[in-house]
Amino acid sequence: MSSDLDKPLREALRAVEPPTGFAERLAARIEREPLRRRDWRPARRWAPQALAASVLVAALGMYGWQLQRERQGLEARQQLLEALRVTGQKLDLAYRGVKDAARPATAGDAGA
Amino acid sequence: MRVPEDMRTPITSLLALVILAVLAQQAALAGDAKLALPNFQALESKASETVSITLDSSLIALAARWLDSDKPEDAAARRAIAGITGIYVRSFTFDSDFAYPQADVDSVRKQLSAPGWQQLVQVHSRKEHNDVDVYIRVDGNKANGLAIIASEPREFTIVNIVGAVDLQKLHELEGHFGIPPLDLTNKK
Repeated sequence: MSSDLDKPLREALRAVEPPTGFAERLAARIEREPLRRRDWRPARRWAPQALAASVLVAALGMYGWQLQRERQGLEARQQLLEALRVTGQKLDLAYRGVKDAARPATAGDAGA
Repeated sequence: MRVPEDMRTPITSLLALVILAVLAQQAALAGDAKLALPNFQALESKASETVSITLDSSLIALAARWLDSDKPEDAAARRAIAGITGIYVRSFTFDSDFAYPQADVDSVRKQLSAPGWQQLVQVHSRKEHNDVDVYIRVDGNKANGLAIIASEPREFTIVNIVGAVDLQKLHELEGHFGIPPLDLTNKK
């Protein structure tokens, strides 16, 4: 039974001659491999610079956003103080009117 | 107390509904104190000076961050805006007398006749032709809105403040923003 198996196995695993030019093609491919690895080198070299540039752009963006926020805040503060100034002015007007009306009626020019 | 797992979703939904209802009610109450100010675009072209300020709660909060507590004016402003959620000012100055349409003033006055608004002060000066009306909106025992309508021959101003208006805090503004000491006691 083992001799029956041996024969087809030997047949299947027999030494085969490589196709013509195989050795040359393989050698050429091996030669190309280091070149392909070299292709990544410039990217690796630029990676820190690219990272630094990204950080710089992000920092500038944050700074710009903060400046804009500060400008908006100061503008809002200015508007708030102006609104309170106008409110105060009109309350003052009402106050003076009430005060005039509370005075003994001489001219009787105001009523509250 | 452990709540059965199958009851958790309905309870959470119910809680969310209750919170939403409370928030909606609060928003409605605060919304009532905000007046629908007319579009004054036509007046802006006629006016020699225009002040149009719209500060909602987010802008007030932003402005508050830039108030310097070391400055008395800023510190007074910070105290005055506590609890306030909106400040709306429209003020127009003209080169000629009564250049503004009375209908715009009346449309705002009409809103102040709605329930909740109370007239605090009404000043009418025949000599100086000044009219100043101060209204306050009261909900329960708390004031949640203030409106000032001031019309002078060459100036027309509407101020609407929304939120927990504290007259005491406004009183504390005396000496700042041109407000003199207010003597609110009834002297005879």
